Amino acid sequence: MLKKTVSIITAAVITGAAITATVAGARDYVSIVGSSTVYPFATTVAEQFGKSTKFSTPKVESTGSGGGLKLFCSGIGVSHPDITNASRRIKKSEYDKCQANGIKDIIEVKVGYDGIVLANSRKSAPMKLTRKDIFLALARQVPDAESGKLVDNPYKTWKEVNPSLPDIKIEVLGPPPTSGTRDAFAELAMEGGAKTFADMSALCKAKGDEVKPLMTKLGIPESGFNKKGKKVFQHIAHSIREDGAYIEAGENDNLIVQKLEANPKSLGIFGFSFLDQNEDKVQGSEIDGHMPTFEGISDGSYPVSRPLFFYVKKDHVSVIPGIKGYLAEFTSDKAWGEEGYLADKGMIPMPIEERAKFAADVKKLTPLVLQ
Amino acid sequence: MLQILSSNTPRSTAKSREERIQSKARMLVDREDRCTAGDPFVENPRMSCRNVNVYYGDKQAIRDVSIDISENEVLAMIGPSGCGKSTFLRCLNRMNDTINICRVTGELKLDDSDIYDKKMDVVPLRARVGMVFQKPNPFPKSIYDNIAYGPTIHGLAATKTELTEIVEISLIKAGLWDEVKDRLDQPGTGLSGGQQQRLCIARAIAVGPEVILMDEPCSALDPIATATIEELISELKQHYTIVIVTHNMQQAARVSQRTAYFHLGDLLEVSQTDVLFTRPSHQLTEDYITGRFG
Amino acid sequence: MNNQKPMDIVQAGLAKRYKKEKRFKLIGLSAIIFSLMFLVFLFSSIFLNGYKAFYQAELRIDVFFDPALLDIKDPASANFDALVKKSLRTTFPDVKKRKEKKKLYGLVSTDGSFQLRDMVLADPALVGQNRSVWLLADDDVDMLMKGYIDRNLPQSDRRISDVQIGWIDKLIDAGRVKFRFNIGFFTNGDSREPESAGILGAAMGSFYMLAITLVLSFPIGIGAAIYLEEFAAKNRITDIIEVNINNLAAVPSIVFGLLGLAVFLNFFHLPRSAPLVGGLVLFLMTLPTIIITGRVALQSVPPSIREAALGVGASKMQAVLHHVLPLAMPGMLTGAIIGMARALGESAPLLMIGMVAFIVDIPAGITDPATALPVQIYLWADSPERAFVERTSAAIMVLLTFLVLMNGTAVYLRSKFERRW
Ligand SMILES: Nc1ncnc2c1ncn2[C@@H]1O[C@H](COP(=O)(O)OP(=O)(O)O)[C@@H](O)[C@H]1O
Ligand SMILES: [Mg+2]
Repeated sequence: MLKKTVSIITAAVITGAAITATVAGARDYVSIVGSSTVYPFATTVAEQFGKSTKFSTPKVESTGSGGGLKLFCSGIGVSHPDITNASRRIKKSEYDKCQANGIKDIIEVKVGYDGIVLANSRKSAPMKLTRKDIFLALARQVPDAESGKLVDNPYKTWKEVNPSLPDIKIEVLGPPPTSGTRDAFAELAMEGGAKTFADMSALCKAKGDEVKPLMTKLGIPESGFNKKGKKVFQHIAHSIREDGAYIEAGENDNLIVQKLEANPKSLGIFGFSFLDQNEDKVQGSEIDGHMPTFEGISDGSYPVSRPLFFYVKKDHVSVIPGIKGYLAEFTSDKAWGEEGYLADKGMIPMPIEERAKFAADVKKLTPLVLQ
Repeated sequence: MLQILSSNTPRSTAKSREERIQSKARMLVDREDRCTAGDPFVENPRMSCRNVNVYYGDKQAIRDVSIDISENEVLAMIGPSGCGKSTFLRCLNRMNDTINICRVTGELKLDDSDIYDKKMDVVPLRARVGMVFQKPNPFPKSIYDNIAYGPTIHGLAATKTELTEIVEISLIKAGLWDEVKDRLDQPGTGLSGGQQQRLCIARAIAVGPEVILMDEPCSALDPIATATIEELISELKQHYTIVIVTHNMQQAARVSQRTAYFHLGDLLEVSQTDVLFTRPSHQLTEDYITGRFG
Repeated sequence: MNNQKPMDIVQAGLAKRYKKEKRFKLIGLSAIIFSLMFLVFLFSSIFLNGYKAFYQAELRIDVFFDPALLDIKDPASANFDALVKKSLRTTFPDVKKRKEKKKLYGLVSTDGSFQLRDMVLADPALVGQNRSVWLLADDDVDMLMKGYIDRNLPQSDRRISDVQIGWIDKLIDAGRVKFRFNIGFFTNGDSREPESAGILGAAMGSFYMLAITLVLSFPIGIGAAIYLEEFAAKNRITDIIEVNINNLAAVPSIVFGLLGLAVFLNFFHLPRSAPLVGGLVLFLMTLPTIIITGRVALQSVPPSIREAALGVGASKMQAVLHHVLPLAMPGMLTGAIIGMARALGESAPLLMIGMVAFIVDIPAGITDPATALPVQIYLWADSPERAFVERTSAAIMVLLTFLVLMNGTAVYLRSKFERRW
């Protein structure tokens, strides 16, 4: 008896599933993937759009910038996402993959900026850092003070890095290598710090034959050679020390905030929106003389900030209901403007001219061209 | 006698009594330790077994056993623990099939059909050769359902009334009716041990078997319940052929016509019960029944 | 040897034996107390963190449903946001500066305008009337009211400014602030605004997934268990199958997610983020567990029952279906529920098939985009807004409640089946 009913239900479900699967040819909601940094902003826009129109609320997945672009570029059609968010610009290789898979026209929309902050607990004194300090404190290999050759990072306390800093152990909680925040941090803070050394800066610009001598000067083994000096430079600047001074604290930025409270001597690396929401618990460190404030990031004076983007498939705009409306909502002043709700969520808006340019591009659906 | 011998059973004609006695004598001479003394063969048997060997994997549990079981007799099987009584009993309705490593060779016949024939269907076979186990094992269902289960799966009752009739008759035959008639819907597992065993006998009777196999049916029961079951067996032998394994020699003496003595996988002796217990022909049988070992 | 009586030797050793027993009991007891303490600590910390999420601050605002702002013909598309702002301005007429106005608007949730819209849609006659309306407070106000924001900190260090606190105090004095039971938490889908975020969407997603998982894995798992245990020949091939099933049960769940991605999404082109695919993935994940527990349950049925059925001439199939299976059922159900509970708590494989997503609309079927309860917890735990912290704990409480209910059902079903003797 029981057996029979169960088998009938099973059969019904399987056939039902098969039918719906074949029927699922159409999709009536916008599918968005991509960066976890853009996720809080994209979801806010999606919700506003869904609630204030008759369209379904777009679905936003948090897959990371790279994962999002991979999904985005895998093809055209309802089973592929319409929009991907990214906390960096699309790479040439990704763009080419898109082209190869028939995604000819991609609309690029820059939405604003995100600042990456180094913060500590309010129980301790605020830190005044430079990018050089950050590089010296966190890189795996740093130029030796005398010989200028790269050596394993010898610094144990901030005072050793820079005599004006307090005599406390270097302890930094930050995201793992898979995170977009970590990429941005390496690119903006660590590279910036590395470039303050003349030889490193030269290496970054060097090409072809110029690379080798610089490498010997810095004491980099032959095996790390690359024609482009920039690659060699990045490899060094992006390598973060693994001797315990830098602690990978997982992707969850809330967790880092909690850990800073528990250990007031440590610093944490996370996105500006988490600082914005937790100002009563943690304080941002000054970097190169600029505080991580809304204004500082917006006008570009705070050095560790990055632009945020999303990319749209033009061919989907006319097929999937709601894309146009979502784009209009995102690029409206009430969303991404200075007083807009995204600013409340911690996104730093672009200057008005930049906003106008991108809003116009979106309106005309001007596709992106990478040489 | 002659009439029976010349009747249409093919085996009887193929092998005269003379020949059989001679072959037995030969066995006695050739393999004195191995052969069956006494009276294993009967005329016109209900079941007949020839040179039955049973193996559990590599281990042999029954060696070259030949015996007949005649209509409406009670055959008792005795012997020390582990001598293969249960193993042999379970060959008679192919209950050994459930044990993977068990292998049976030789010839076992019910009437004229070969029990171990490939074409033999065990379902009707087990309906014809019912079984009662050592430990009472009623289904965890009501008393009624316990009895009704067999007739239902075999389709013996066309209507509910017929089924109820079968249940009642079976319970009456098993001598349990008076005790349970008011609580047929109560669980069979709630009865006492002796009642449970009679319930199991009723369950076996309900499908109308010809032979009933009983494997130490009283070993888990107290003396009073044992006496009840023994009485019941005496009743049942008028209608059924019964093979009973027992540890209790008094019981064998009380209920059976013939008794078979098994010893380490060999069938040493089969005789009329009174003969076996008074004048055993095998030394080992005598040792066993006089309690020198076992 | 010596002339001690055996009883004396026994007596002498007795104290030692009892001591040993006592020590063993003590160790067992302390292990249980230790784990119970952890459990109590865990539950109470979740509860203390989360219970405040079950009520929510509201503000009473006088609203004039201004016909000038509300187009009678199409009220749905009217600018209700403006209506909320206008009403706030009339409540606090002395707020003039632009910056201050923005702070004032921040007191009410962005959901407030949708509340007003729904009121007008339900009763168009409201247009042109004055009403006093309870609107959801912003999450920052809610946090202040619940004591999570310290008023004594300098203004720059908190998300709510001194003027705002002044307004809130005024509203409190006027009896215009109250807490009410947070129904929205149980009836809404996800939201970026903590005050209007709910778990119904995720709960429905979990429900659809588990329904598919159960409907597929239970009959198939039980069928496989019966076949392997009762019918399959015991040989090399069945040994290999058995080893493989045991291995599958230990495979990390993320692997099933990858499998689901490759098979259901990339090959069969089933929709992303759909409970259908989630259910299929969790089905594959729970199947080995159900087969293994099913086999154990079958093994634990005494062979005498099988013999009894076979003895009256039941076929093997009948013996199994009529007698063995009903007795094994309680064990099988327990196994199935444990498998389901594991499936309910699973989030890793769902990441691969796109179910870690922001989804506002409540799924209405197995192919609608959906998330699951554990995924919702994960997403909220990762949200910057402070108010999501308590909601995360509240969602954990809901998940735990479901688990308790499921286990309760298992116990109930077991006793029900067992009562059939
Ligand atoms: N299922 C089995 N697997 C292996 N050996 C068995 C099995 N059942 C019985 N045997 C062996 O077969 C021999 C005969 O057993 P059995 O027929 O049960 O003896 P009895 O019923 O006379 O006490 C014993 O040695 C016993 O160990
Ligand atoms: Mg036995």
